[in-house]
Order: sequence, then structure tokens, then C-alpha cells
Amino acid sequence: MTVTVSASGLTLRYGGTVALDDVALRLEEGITGLLGPNGAGKTTLLRVLATAVPADRGAFTVLGHDPGTAAGRLAVRRTLGYLPQNPGFHPDFTAFAFVDYVAILKELTDRAARHREVRRVLAEVDLADVRGRRIKRLSGGMRQRVALAAALVGDPRFLVLDEPTAGLDPEQRMRFRELITRTGEGRTVLLSTHQTEDVAMLCHRVIVMAGGHVRFEGTPAELTARAAGRVWSSAERDPGARAGWRTGAGAFRNVGDPPEGADLLEPTLEDGYLLTLDDTGAQAVTR
Amino acid sequence: MLRVTVGGDAGRGAALRALAGAVWRVLPWRALAAAGGAGAAMAAGTRLPGQQPDALIGLLVLRLAALAGGLGLAFLFDDPARHTTETVPVRRPVRAGLRLALVAPLAAGWWAAVLFLVPAAARPPAGAVTLEAAAIGAGAVALAAASVRLRSEPGPGAGAALALLALAVAALLLPSRWDLLAPPGDPDWGQAHRRWAALLCWAAVLCAACLPQPLRRRRPALRTRRPPDPDAPAPLHGT
Repeated sequence: MTVTVSASGLTLRYGGTVALDDVALRLEEGITGLLGPNGAGKTTLLRVLATAVPADRGAFTVLGHDPGTAAGRLAVRRTLGYLPQNPGFHPDFTAFAFVDYVAILKELTDRAARHREVRRVLAEVDLADVRGRRIKRLSGGMRQRVALAAALVGDPRFLVLDEPTAGLDPEQRMRFRELITRTGEGRTVLLSTHQTEDVAMLCHRVIVMAGGHVRFEGTPAELTARAAGRVWSSAERDPGARAGWRTGAGAFRNVGDPPEGADLLEPTLEDGYLLTLDDTGAQAVTR
Repeated sequence: MLRVTVGGDAGRGAALRALAGAVWRVLPWRALAAAGGAGAAMAAGTRLPGQQPDALIGLLVLRLAALAGGLGLAFLFDDPARHTTETVPVRRPVRAGLRLALVAPLAAGWWAAVLFLVPAAARPPAGAVTLEAAAIGAGAVALAAASVRLRSEPGPGAGAALALLALAVAALLLPSRWDLLAPPGDPDWGQAHRRWAALLCWAAVLCAACLPQPLRRRRPALRTRRPPDPDAPAPLHGT
């Protein structure tokens, strides 16, 4: 697969806090999930890759363009769709007018062609029926889809999505996952999320970050495999477990180093994620 | 990546028209209209029946109207969609410059109207008081640009307006050798307006310095922890 984004040594500090510390990664076509606890550096990494903020050190390219130069940054922005963590809108605009506004800022200047493109992306995010409705009258999920439409306008090849499913109810999240799956076809998508389910369902690659470092990079199956033989069931909470919680069935699900003869369970991506954080000392698993 | 552009001068003109139209729609019209209305109402108050304002009242009213206009301009760069449009190809300085270019003629027309609403007998020298208004307006825009630069919220205008008000109060407290608010006929009138001109220049410089994007960060001198990779892409330069 073609490498779309290649980064090495990305470092960024805010005052005394190291937000990114020597981050290196490669992204290919398809959806890559970015997991990590709060303060892990996920949003900072996305903002650097989206050219919203420059790194203190390090380098990266997007589709061969180096954003270190003005021309390179412009070229990157022309290939980029960015959905920030807290997207903002002009609330009195209709969904159509807002996406049209973003399309103009993305240099789609021919009015007829631009309007066709705006209609296309609104249809792609299932908002064709409410395109004339003011944004302030749309639900949270619909607004999030307007923001996704704004990111998609101009058909970008590299899509950066910062927690797009945060704050959505389960049905909206399902619909959003469907959308992201569709929009991920033929594109490189970097998706930051707290939801391991999102990664399990959507992503062909996953990156785990903590403390400004990349702690894991691989496939969801490889992350899950990290917990193989390290998840077990017991009638009572196992004091030796790194984490344990009572399941709906009444038994305890324990994660960590199992005692001999333990009743091992099939691991999930979440188990692999928790153990990755714990193994690297990035964050103790909540007991 | 789909990009629909039309080549040549006609294409550039169409692009600029589309961009100007888009920027026009997102200007903070409520703040501008409220400030402009307040300033015009103050000036119109001098024409109410029974009012016979003298030159000092005329000057005070015009200075207050200029301050009101400045408070409106402090919101010029407020943009609820700031984060959503942070990484679009059309750069922030271009968009900010367009906002300024679109508002400047309106502000000039508004100021001319305010000036002529004050009766001629009470009107101070128009050039001098216009210089004061220009400096206040430029100062407000510079504070707005600085707020955008230093803060990440989409609506930093309220902070800029408060800063402008604080500066206006501070101007009242200046010692006489730095006085800005001399009345006409005062020996310091000319000197005060040289200070206003200097303020205008400083505001313009501050505004120009605050418009580039993304934020230039102070680069801490970090030690290299590993030898550079010859195959790595070129390092990030200044932005």
C-alpha cells in the first residue's frame, strides 16, 4: 500500500509539558485509529499533521508534500479534510450555506461546480433532506455530520477526524461509523477516539499513544493479541489482576497476569489497549 | 482532490468575488451594527431640540462615538467556525485582510456621518478628531488580531473590547506630558495628535505582526536524542 503520511521525530512542547515526544509514524490508505487516554497527545498530533500548529522539531510529509515550506503547506491543505474535536459553525447559516462557505475557502470558486460538490457531500453524509435548515436547528449528530461534510468537501485524500463520535448517542454513533467506513474508501483516514469499539469496527491499523509517545502501532488484531492469555474469569475479584470488573453475567473479568489454572477468556481490543498502557507504564489501569 | 478553479485574471477575479462574498456573510454584523448605532445615536443627540452643544461637548461626543466604533471593531475577527476552517488553503491573513477591506469603507462612511451629525458650531477640527478615531479603530483591530493570535477560542472579541476600554480609562489617567485628550486650543493639542499618529502606526504594526498563521511558536533549543535520519523528510521550517 502507498504510504500517504510519513513522520519522524515530531516533538512539541507547551511550556513545560511535552505534548509530543519524538513521534514517528507512517499512514497508508484506509482507516487508522488513534487511541489514548486524555492528555496522551492525540489531538496535538492530529493538529500537527493537519498543519494547524507546527511542531518544535521533526518532520513529516503528506502525499510527498513537505509542510515545512509555504508551498508544501498549501499543497498539504489542498489534499486535507480536517474535522476538529470541537467543530464550530455559523449557527445562522443553513447546512448548505456553511459547507458552501468552507468550499469557497477550499478554493472551489466555480459557483455551479461548487454547488454540485456541496450537494454531493451533503448527500454523502445523509443530510440532503435538511440542507436548507439552519445549523442552530440541527441536532448534535446532524451538526457533526455537517462538520464531516465540510471536511469532505473537495474530495480530500487525507482525512483527519478528531473524536468524531464523541457525544453522540449509540444510534448516531452507528450511523457515523457507517459514514466513516464509506468515506474511508480510497482515502487515508486518521481517526482519533476514546472508543475501542470504533477502532475494532472501523480501522485496519491502530496507533496507541500515551504521554506524547507512540506506544503501539499495528493492526487491531495484533493489539488484541497482546492480551492473549492475560484475561480470565473468576467468581471473585482477583487481587493479582491489574484490572477487574464484574460483568453482566455476574463473574469477574480480570486483566493482567493470570494465576495458574485460571479460566482464560477470549481477549478484546480493549484488553489489549489497557495492557499496552499498563505495560509501558503510561498509565496504571484503574483497579 | 477536487479543486474547481477558473484560470487567468477572470478566474482570479471570480475567486476573489466568491471569497469576498463568503467573508462578507461571516462578518460580526450584530456587534458592528450595535456599535455603529450607539455611536451615531450619541452624535445625533447633539441635534436634539433644545441642545446647544459647545466645542468641548462636540469633542467629547465624537471621542465617545469613536470609542463605540472601536468596541465594535474589536469583534471583527470573531469567527465561530474558526476551528472548522483552521486548515483550509485560503490563509488566515487573506481572510482577515478581506474582513478589514470590507469593513474599512463602511467604517469611513459611518465616521463621516457621525462627524456631520454634530453641528458645525460644536465640531472640532475634523482632521485631528478623525486621526483620533482612526487610531482608536486601528487599536481595536490590533487588539482583536492579538487576541486571535494569543487565544484559541473562536470569539476573542469580548476580551479585545475590554482591553480597549481599559486602555481608554488609562488614557484618562495619563500624566500631562503624555496627554492624548487635549481639548482644541490647548497648547498640547498638536503634540497630542502627534501621539495619536504614533499610536496609529503602532497599532498597524501590531496588527500586521499578529495576522500570520499558524501561530509562530518560540522554538525551544532541544537536544537531538538520536542522529538525524538521512532518509527523513526535510525538517519543519518557520511558518
